Amino acid sequence: MSLVATLLGTAMIAAGVGFLLFAALGLWRLPDTLSRLHALTKADTAGLALVALGAACLSDTPAALLPLGLCALLVAVSGATIGHLIARRLMRRPAA
Amino acid sequence: MSPVVLFDAALALGVLGCAALALTLRDRTGTVAAFMLTGLLVALSWLRLGAPDVALAEAAIGAGLTGALFLRGARRLGPLRARPPAPAQAAAAALGAAVLSAALLWAFATAPAESLYPPRVAAALEDSGVSNPVTAVLLNFRAWDTLLEIAVLVVALLLVMTLSPPRVIPDKLGALVQPFARIVVPVAVLVAGHLLWQGAEAPGGAFQAGAVLAGAGLALVLGGVRVDRRVLRRALTALALAGLAVFTLAALASQAVTGALLGYPDGQAKAWIIAIEGALTLSIAATLCLLFTGYGRRSAR
Repeated sequence: MSLVATLLGTAMIAAGVGFLLFAALGLWRLPDTLSRLHALTKADTAGLALVALGAACLSDTPAALLPLGLCALLVAVSGATIGHLIARRLMRRPAA
Repeated sequence: MSPVVLFDAALALGVLGCAALALTLRDRTGTVAAFMLTGLLVALSWLRLGAPDVALAEAAIGAGLTGALFLRGARRLGPLRARPPAPAQAAAAALGAAVLSAALLWAFATAPAESLYPPRVAAALEDSGVSNPVTAVLLNFRAWDTLLEIAVLVVALLLVMTLSPPRVIPDKLGALVQPFARIVVPVAVLVAGHLLWQGAEAPGGAFQAGAVLAGAGLALVLGGVRVDRRVLRRALTALALAGLAVFTLAALASQAVTGALLGYPDGQAKAWIIAIEGALTLSIAATLCLLFTGYGRRSAR
Protein backbone atom coordinates (compact mmCIF):
# COMPACT_ATOMS: atom_id res chain seq x y z
CA MET A 1 0.00 0.00 0.00
CA SER A 2 1.39 3.36 -0.90
CA LEU A 3 2.20 5.97 1.69
CA VAL A 4 -0.12 8.45 0.00
CA ALA A 5 -3.11 6.15 0.34
CA THR A 6 -2.33 5.52 4.00
CA LEU A 7 -2.00 9.21 4.79
CA LEU A 8 -5.12 10.10 2.81
CA GLY A 9 -7.12 7.30 4.45
CA THR A 10 -6.04 8.23 7.96
CA ALA A 11 -6.77 11.91 7.35
CA MET A 12 -10.24 11.16 6.00
CA ILE A 13 -11.09 8.85 8.90
CA ALA A 14 -9.91 11.52 11.35
CA ALA A 15 -12.04 14.14 9.59
CA GLY A 16 -15.03 11.77 9.60
CA VAL A 17 -14.67 11.11 13.31
CA GLY A 18 -14.47 14.87 13.82
CA PHE A 19 -17.78 15.31 11.97
CA LEU A 20 -19.39 12.59 14.09
CA LEU A 21 -18.10 14.20 17.28
CA PHE A 22 -19.58 17.53 16.22
CA ALA A 23 -22.88 15.80 15.44
CA ALA A 24 -22.90 14.36 18.96
CA LEU A 25 -21.98 17.75 20.41
CA GLY A 26 -24.81 19.36 18.44
CA LEU A 27 -27.30 16.76 19.66
CA TRP A 28 -26.22 17.45 23.20
CA ARG A 29 -25.92 21.24 23.22
CA LEU A 30 -28.40 22.65 20.70
CA PRO A 31 -31.65 23.96 22.16
CA ASP A 32 -34.51 22.50 20.10
CA THR A 33 -35.35 19.44 18.04
CA LEU A 34 -35.09 21.05 14.62
CA SER A 35 -31.62 22.46 15.18
CA ARG A 36 -30.52 19.15 16.67
CA LEU A 37 -31.81 17.35 13.58
CA HIS A 38 -29.99 19.86 11.42
CA ALA A 39 -26.70 19.13 13.18
CA LEU A 40 -27.23 15.41 13.42
CA THR A 41 -28.40 14.39 9.95
CA LYS A 42 -25.86 16.35 7.94
CA ALA A 43 -22.79 15.87 10.09
CA ASP A 44 -23.68 12.22 10.61
CA THR A 45 -23.96 11.37 6.93
CA ALA A 46 -20.84 13.31 5.98
CA GLY A 47 -18.88 11.81 8.87
CA LEU A 48 -19.76 8.22 8.04
CA ALA A 49 -19.12 8.75 4.33
CA LEU A 50 -15.67 10.16 5.16
CA VAL A 51 -14.88 7.23 7.47
CA ALA A 52 -15.97 4.78 4.75
CA LEU A 53 -13.86 6.59 2.13
CA GLY A 54 -10.88 6.55 4.46
CA ALA A 55 -11.33 2.86 5.18
CA ALA A 56 -11.56 2.23 1.43
CA CYS A 57 -8.18 4.00 1.00
CA LEU A 58 -6.66 1.87 3.77
CA SER A 59 -8.04 -1.47 2.56
CA ASP A 60 -5.93 -3.68 0.32
CA THR A 61 -8.71 -5.37 -1.61
CA PRO A 62 -11.13 -3.74 -4.04
CA ALA A 63 -13.76 -6.18 -2.71
CA ALA A 64 -13.98 -4.09 0.46
CA LEU A 65 -15.37 -1.19 -1.58
CA LEU A 66 -18.80 -2.80 -2.02
CA PRO A 67 -19.72 -3.23 1.67
CA LEU A 68 -18.22 0.17 2.54
CA GLY A 69 -20.15 1.89 -0.22
CA LEU A 70 -23.31 0.04 0.82
CA CYS A 71 -22.82 1.20 4.42
CA ALA A 72 -22.44 4.84 3.40
CA LEU A 73 -25.42 4.65 1.03
CA LEU A 74 -27.76 2.96 3.52
CA VAL A 75 -26.86 5.32 6.35
CA ALA A 76 -27.31 8.33 4.04
CA VAL A 77 -30.70 7.11 2.82
CA SER A 78 -32.05 6.10 6.22
CA GLY A 79 -30.63 9.19 7.95
CA ALA A 80 -32.32 11.51 5.46
CA THR A 81 -35.62 9.63 5.68
CA ILE A 82 -35.69 9.48 9.46
CA GLY A 83 -34.73 13.14 9.76
CA HIS A 84 -37.59 13.98 7.41
CA LEU A 85 -40.04 11.85 9.41
CA ILE A 86 -39.06 13.38 12.75
CA ALA A 87 -39.25 16.93 11.39
CA ARG A 88 -42.60 16.21 9.72
CA ARG A 89 -44.04 14.80 12.90
CA LEU A 90 -42.82 17.86 14.77
CA MET A 91 -44.37 20.32 12.31
CA ARG A 92 -47.74 18.56 12.33
CA ARG A 93 -48.05 18.35 16.07
CA PRO A 94 -50.11 21.17 17.53
CA ALA A 95 -47.85 23.54 19.44
CA ALA A 96 -47.70 22.27 23.00
CA MET B 1 -3.18 0.51 28.33
CA SER B 2 -3.57 -0.43 24.70
CA PRO B 3 -6.30 1.24 22.59
CA VAL B 4 -8.05 -2.11 22.17
CA VAL B 5 -8.44 -2.54 25.91
CA LEU B 6 -9.72 1.02 26.16
CA PHE B 7 -12.26 0.31 23.41
CA ASP B 8 -13.44 -2.86 25.14
CA ALA B 9 -13.76 -1.07 28.46
CA ALA B 10 -15.78 1.74 26.84
CA LEU B 11 -17.96 -0.89 25.14
CA ALA B 12 -18.63 -2.73 28.40
CA LEU B 13 -19.47 0.53 30.18
CA GLY B 14 -21.71 1.52 27.27
CA VAL B 15 -23.64 -1.77 27.47
CA LEU B 16 -24.15 -1.34 31.22
CA GLY B 17 -25.11 2.31 30.85
CA CYS B 18 -27.66 1.66 28.09
CA ALA B 19 -29.11 -1.29 30.03
CA ALA B 20 -29.49 0.94 33.08
CA LEU B 21 -31.21 3.59 30.93
CA ALA B 22 -33.55 0.96 29.48
CA LEU B 23 -34.58 -0.06 32.99
CA THR B 24 -34.88 3.36 34.58
CA LEU B 25 -36.27 5.75 31.92
CA ARG B 26 -39.87 6.70 32.61
CA ASP B 27 -40.88 6.92 28.95
CA ARG B 28 -41.71 3.87 26.88
CA THR B 29 -40.21 5.05 23.60
CA GLY B 30 -37.07 6.07 25.45
CA THR B 31 -36.70 2.69 27.16
CA VAL B 32 -37.16 0.87 23.84
CA ALA B 33 -34.56 3.12 22.21
CA ALA B 34 -32.14 2.37 25.07
CA PHE B 35 -32.92 -1.35 24.71
CA MET B 36 -32.13 -1.27 20.99
CA LEU B 37 -28.91 0.64 21.66
CA THR B 38 -27.96 -1.99 24.26
CA GLY B 39 -28.59 -4.68 21.64
CA LEU B 40 -26.33 -2.95 19.12
CA LEU B 41 -23.52 -2.57 21.65
CA VAL B 42 -23.97 -6.22 22.70
CA ALA B 43 -23.68 -7.18 19.01
CA LEU B 44 -20.43 -5.19 18.85
CA SER B 45 -19.23 -7.07 21.96
CA TRP B 46 -19.97 -10.41 20.29
CA LEU B 47 -17.87 -9.24 17.36
CA ARG B 48 -15.02 -8.39 19.74
CA LEU B 49 -15.39 -11.87 21.27
CA GLY B 50 -14.91 -13.41 17.84
CA ALA B 51 -18.51 -14.60 17.36
CA PRO B 52 -19.72 -12.77 14.22
CA ASP B 53 -22.62 -15.20 13.73
CA VAL B 54 -24.07 -14.32 17.12
CA ALA B 55 -23.32 -10.64 16.49
CA LEU B 56 -25.32 -10.68 13.24
CA ALA B 57 -28.25 -12.45 14.89
CA GLU B 58 -28.19 -10.10 17.88
CA ALA B 59 -28.09 -6.98 15.72
CA ALA B 60 -30.85 -8.12 13.36
CA ILE B 61 -33.20 -9.97 15.71
CA GLY B 62 -32.21 -8.87 19.22
CA ALA B 63 -31.87 -5.16 18.56
CA GLY B 64 -33.78 -4.53 15.33
CA LEU B 65 -36.87 -6.72 15.19
CA THR B 66 -37.41 -7.12 18.92
CA GLY B 67 -37.13 -3.35 19.18
CA ALA B 68 -39.77 -2.95 16.47
CA LEU B 69 -42.06 -5.41 18.32
CA PHE B 70 -41.51 -3.50 21.56
CA LEU B 71 -42.30 -0.17 19.90
CA ARG B 72 -45.49 -1.67 18.52
CA GLY B 73 -46.42 -2.96 21.96
CA ALA B 74 -45.53 0.36 23.60
CA ARG B 75 -47.87 2.12 21.20
CA ARG B 76 -50.73 -0.13 22.24
CA LEU B 77 -50.03 0.09 25.96
CA GLY B 78 -49.94 3.88 26.02
CA PRO B 79 -47.86 6.02 28.34
CA LEU B 80 -46.22 4.59 31.40
CA ARG B 81 -48.34 5.10 34.49
CA ALA B 82 -46.93 2.69 37.06
CA ARG B 83 -44.81 4.22 39.78
CA PRO B 84 -41.17 3.18 40.11
CA PRO B 85 -40.76 0.01 42.18
CA ALA B 86 -40.54 0.25 45.96
CA PRO B 87 -37.01 0.28 47.43
CA ALA B 88 -37.50 -3.23 48.86
CA GLN B 89 -38.45 -4.55 45.41
CA ALA B 90 -35.47 -2.84 43.79
CA ALA B 91 -33.16 -4.21 46.48
CA ALA B 92 -34.53 -7.74 46.02
CA ALA B 93 -34.03 -7.53 42.26
CA ALA B 94 -30.49 -6.20 42.72
CA LEU B 95 -29.73 -9.02 45.16
CA GLY B 96 -31.05 -11.63 42.72
CA ALA B 97 -28.99 -10.15 39.88
CA ALA B 98 -25.88 -10.08 42.09
CA VAL B 99 -26.33 -13.75 43.10
CA LEU B 100 -26.84 -14.76 39.48
CA SER B 101 -23.74 -12.82 38.39
CA ALA B 102 -21.68 -14.41 41.17
CA ALA B 103 -22.89 -17.89 40.16
CA LEU B 104 -22.01 -17.19 36.50
CA LEU B 105 -18.60 -15.84 37.49
CA TRP B 106 -17.98 -18.95 39.59
CA ALA B 107 -19.11 -21.22 36.75
CA PHE B 108 -16.80 -19.50 34.25
CA ALA B 109 -13.87 -19.37 36.68
CA THR B 110 -14.06 -23.08 37.47
CA ALA B 111 -14.82 -24.28 33.92
CA PRO B 112 -11.97 -26.05 32.13
CA ALA B 113 -10.05 -23.61 29.96
CA GLU B 114 -10.46 -25.65 26.78
CA SER B 115 -13.98 -26.24 25.54
CA LEU B 116 -14.70 -29.84 24.54
CA TYR B 117 -16.59 -29.03 21.38
CA PRO B 118 -14.34 -27.10 18.96
CA PRO B 119 -11.88 -29.99 18.35
CA ARG B 120 -14.74 -32.46 17.82
CA VAL B 121 -16.54 -30.07 15.44
CA ALA B 122 -13.28 -29.40 13.58
CA ALA B 123 -12.64 -33.14 13.26
CA ALA B 124 -16.07 -33.82 11.74
CA LEU B 125 -16.31 -30.61 9.67
CA GLU B 126 -15.19 -32.49 6.52
CA ASP B 127 -18.34 -34.62 6.49
CA SER B 128 -20.80 -31.84 7.35
CA GLY B 129 -21.15 -30.46 3.81
CA VAL B 130 -20.27 -26.89 4.89
CA SER B 131 -17.09 -25.22 6.08
CA ASN B 132 -18.60 -22.76 8.58
CA PRO B 133 -18.52 -24.62 11.93
CA VAL B 134 -21.56 -22.68 13.23
CA THR B 135 -23.72 -23.75 10.29
CA ALA B 136 -22.34 -27.29 10.59
CA VAL B 137 -23.51 -27.47 14.21
CA LEU B 138 -26.87 -25.76 13.60
CA LEU B 139 -27.93 -27.63 10.48
CA ASN B 140 -26.07 -30.93 10.73
CA PHE B 141 -24.61 -32.07 14.06
CA ARG B 142 -27.36 -30.56 16.21
CA ALA B 143 -30.04 -30.00 13.56
CA TRP B 144 -32.57 -31.49 15.98
CA ASP B 145 -32.15 -28.44 18.27
CA THR B 146 -32.71 -26.08 15.35
CA LEU B 147 -35.86 -27.98 14.36
CA LEU B 148 -37.22 -27.42 17.86
CA GLU B 149 -36.28 -23.72 17.71
CA ILE B 150 -38.33 -23.35 14.57
CA ALA B 151 -41.17 -25.10 16.36
CA VAL B 152 -40.90 -22.48 19.12
CA LEU B 153 -41.24 -19.71 16.50
CA VAL B 154 -44.36 -21.42 15.14
CA VAL B 155 -45.81 -21.66 18.66
CA ALA B 156 -45.21 -17.92 19.12
CA LEU B 157 -47.01 -17.23 15.87
CA LEU B 158 -49.93 -19.48 16.89
CA LEU B 159 -50.21 -17.55 20.17
CA VAL B 160 -50.37 -14.27 18.27
CA MET B 161 -53.06 -15.76 16.03
CA THR B 162 -55.06 -16.92 19.04
CA LEU B 163 -54.79 -13.71 21.03
CA SER B 164 -55.25 -11.63 17.85
CA PRO B 165 -53.91 -8.28 19.03
CA PRO B 166 -55.15 -5.33 16.96
CA ARG B 167 -53.55 -5.12 13.57
CA VAL B 168 -51.07 -2.40 12.89
CA ILE B 169 -52.15 0.07 10.27
CA PRO B 170 -49.39 2.64 10.32
CA ASP B 171 -49.93 6.34 9.87
CA LYS B 172 -49.18 7.59 6.40
CA LEU B 173 -45.50 8.33 6.41
CA GLY B 174 -45.30 10.79 3.55
CA ALA B 175 -43.47 11.25 0.34
CA LEU B 176 -39.96 10.23 1.29
CA VAL B 177 -40.77 6.75 2.54
CA GLN B 178 -41.46 5.23 -0.86
CA PRO B 179 -38.09 6.20 -2.36
CA PHE B 180 -36.55 4.91 0.89
CA ALA B 181 -38.30 1.55 0.48
CA ARG B 182 -37.35 1.46 -3.20
CA ILE B 183 -33.69 1.51 -2.23
CA VAL B 184 -33.77 -0.45 1.00
CA VAL B 185 -36.06 -3.34 0.07
CA PRO B 186 -34.12 -4.59 -3.00
CA VAL B 187 -30.82 -4.16 -1.14
CA ALA B 188 -32.24 -6.11 1.81
CA VAL B 189 -33.38 -8.93 -0.47
CA LEU B 190 -29.90 -9.12 -2.01
CA VAL B 191 -28.22 -9.01 1.40
CA ALA B 192 -30.54 -11.75 2.69
CA GLY B 193 -29.68 -13.97 -0.26
CA HIS B 194 -26.01 -13.27 0.25
CA LEU B 195 -26.20 -14.08 3.99
CA LEU B 196 -28.05 -17.31 3.26
CA TRP B 197 -25.54 -18.45 0.66
CA GLN B 198 -22.39 -17.45 2.51
CA GLY B 199 -23.64 -19.18 5.67
CA ALA B 200 -21.96 -22.30 4.28
CA GLU B 201 -18.45 -20.94 4.67
CA ALA B 202 -18.67 -17.67 6.61
CA PRO B 203 -20.92 -16.04 9.21
CA GLY B 204 -24.52 -15.96 8.05
CA GLY B 205 -27.38 -18.38 7.65
CA ALA B 206 -31.12 -18.74 7.76
CA PHE B 207 -31.81 -16.77 10.95
CA GLN B 208 -29.78 -13.74 9.92
CA ALA B 209 -31.07 -13.81 6.34
CA GLY B 210 -34.65 -14.24 7.56
CA ALA B 211 -34.31 -11.30 9.93
CA VAL B 212 -32.97 -9.03 7.17
CA LEU B 213 -35.79 -10.11 4.86
CA ALA B 214 -38.31 -9.45 7.63
CA GLY B 215 -36.81 -5.97 7.99
CA ALA B 216 -37.53 -5.39 4.31
CA GLY B 217 -41.08 -6.61 4.92
CA LEU B 218 -41.52 -4.15 7.78
CA ALA B 219 -40.23 -1.34 5.57
CA LEU B 220 -42.95 -2.25 3.06
CA VAL B 221 -45.61 -2.39 5.78
CA LEU B 222 -44.57 0.99 7.18
CA GLY B 223 -44.34 2.36 3.65
CA GLY B 224 -48.03 1.69 3.23
CA VAL B 225 -48.36 -1.79 1.70
CA ARG B 226 -51.69 -3.01 2.98
CA VAL B 227 -51.21 -6.15 5.05
CA ASP B 228 -54.87 -6.40 5.88
CA ARG B 229 -55.59 -8.07 2.56
CA ARG B 230 -56.74 -11.50 3.51
CA VAL B 231 -54.98 -13.24 0.61
CA LEU B 232 -51.61 -11.72 1.50
CA ARG B 233 -52.00 -12.66 5.15
CA ARG B 234 -52.92 -16.23 4.30
CA ALA B 235 -49.97 -16.54 1.95
CA LEU B 236 -47.62 -15.20 4.61
CA THR B 237 -49.07 -17.60 7.19
CA ALA B 238 -48.62 -20.54 4.84
CA LEU B 239 -45.03 -19.45 4.22
CA ALA B 240 -44.42 -19.10 7.96
CA LEU B 241 -45.66 -22.63 8.62
CA ALA B 242 -43.85 -24.06 5.58
CA GLY B 243 -40.45 -23.81 7.27
CA LEU B 244 -41.35 -26.20 10.05
CA ALA B 245 -43.12 -28.46 7.54
CA VAL B 246 -40.10 -28.65 5.23
CA PHE B 247 -37.72 -29.21 8.14
CA THR B 248 -39.91 -31.99 9.59
CA LEU B 249 -40.31 -33.62 6.19
CA ALA B 250 -36.53 -33.47 5.73
CA ALA B 251 -36.08 -35.12 9.13
CA LEU B 252 -38.50 -37.91 8.23
CA ALA B 253 -37.00 -38.32 4.76
CA SER B 254 -33.48 -38.56 6.15
CA GLN B 255 -34.75 -41.13 8.65
CA ALA B 256 -36.15 -43.16 5.77
CA VAL B 257 -33.04 -42.81 3.59
CA THR B 258 -30.21 -43.18 6.09
CA GLY B 259 -31.89 -44.58 9.19
CA ALA B 260 -30.82 -41.61 11.29
CA LEU B 261 -33.06 -38.64 12.06
CA LEU B 262 -31.52 -35.65 10.24
CA GLY B 263 -28.50 -37.77 9.30
CA TYR B 264 -27.98 -36.66 5.71
CA PRO B 265 -26.85 -39.14 3.04
CA ASP B 266 -23.08 -39.17 2.44
CA GLY B 267 -21.90 -36.45 0.07
CA GLN B 268 -25.31 -34.78 -0.24
CA ALA B 269 -25.28 -32.91 3.05
CA LYS B 270 -24.80 -29.52 1.40
CA ALA B 271 -27.84 -29.88 -0.85
CA TRP B 272 -30.01 -30.91 2.11
CA ILE B 273 -28.73 -28.04 4.24
CA ILE B 274 -29.34 -25.46 1.51
CA ALA B 275 -32.85 -26.73 0.87
CA ILE B 276 -33.71 -26.59 4.57
CA GLU B 277 -32.07 -23.21 5.09
CA GLY B 278 -33.77 -21.70 2.06
CA ALA B 279 -37.18 -22.75 3.37
CA LEU B 280 -36.29 -21.57 6.86
CA THR B 281 -35.20 -18.13 5.63
CA LEU B 282 -38.54 -17.42 3.96
CA SER B 283 -40.45 -18.92 6.86
CA ILE B 284 -38.56 -16.95 9.53
CA ALA B 285 -39.05 -13.74 7.55
CA ALA B 286 -42.80 -14.37 7.18
CA THR B 287 -43.13 -15.31 10.86
CA LEU B 288 -41.35 -12.17 12.07
CA CYS B 289 -43.44 -9.97 9.77
CA LEU B 290 -46.67 -11.55 11.00
CA LEU B 291 -45.59 -11.21 14.64
CA PHE B 292 -45.27 -7.50 13.94
CA THR B 293 -48.42 -6.93 11.92
CA GLY B 294 -50.67 -9.23 13.94
CA TYR B 295 -53.95 -10.88 13.03
CA GLY B 296 -56.70 -9.02 14.80
CA ARG B 297 -59.77 -7.59 13.14
CA ARG B 298 -59.78 -4.25 14.90
CA SER B 299 -57.16 -1.80 13.84
CA ALA B 300 -54.74 0.23 15.89
CA ARG B 301 -52.75 3.21 14.81
